[in-house]
Amino acid sequence: MSPSSDVRIERAACLPAEVALHARPAGAFVRAASVFTAEIFVSANGRRANAKSILDILSLGAEGGAELVIDASGADAAEAADSLALLVAALA
Amino acid sequence: MVEGNGAVSLILVSHSGEIASGLAEMAAQIAGPTVEIVAAGGAVDGSLGTDGGRVLEALRAGAKGAGAVVLVDLGSSVLSVRAAIAELTPEELEHVSVADAPLVEGAIAAAVAASTGCTHAEAARAAEEARNVAKL
Repeated sequence: MSPSSDVRIERAACLPAEVALHARPAGAFVRAASVFTAEIFVSANGRRANAKSILDILSLGAEGGAELVIDASGADAAEAADSLALLVAALA
Repeated sequence: MVEGNGAVSLILVSHSGEIASGLAEMAAQIAGPTVEIVAAGGAVDGSLGTDGGRVLEALRAGAKGAGAVVLVDLGSSVLSVRAAIAELTPEELEHVSVADAPLVEGAIAAAVAASTGCTHAEAARAAEEARNVAKL
């Protein structure tokens, strides 16, 4: 019952205008998310996807410029949400 | 992980050479350059079918280091893989997992999992989870 494991961190991130969360960028995102122990989800277009599942992420259909919300729960949730939000904004 | 093992590789077995090679290209784009993806599609003469010798060769080549996860399409692809598996030594078998998964979704999921440095059994499980992901 560690209190840190109950922490839920939310970060907003905007995809660059010309980058959809498909193919290579989606793979890069899932790879980065898989490093963390936290449970991580990404919401876009009214859907919420497991950040560690490529098929889930592809099903979001997040196009360039989309507003994403990343929420993470667990010991490294803050680090996970922060670094993934930065990664999204820097996707090329 | 033993040094120099690299990532788990993928072996795609399809009746169609074009399905196997096209899927290999697609999975490689998503997973990045660290994951080796072997397309073993089509019959010996390039027509639709499976080439048991080629499947066995791919399995033997993949059955070392970090190992390989095998994905299949339908029917005789499964039989070809079963026949090839029967030819492997017990030691080689420890390096190979066959995923009971849809070919396209399973290959994408396994390739991305492999790119995170997981084991071949974990990559196969990632592929098998694809059965439960709704498309619509």
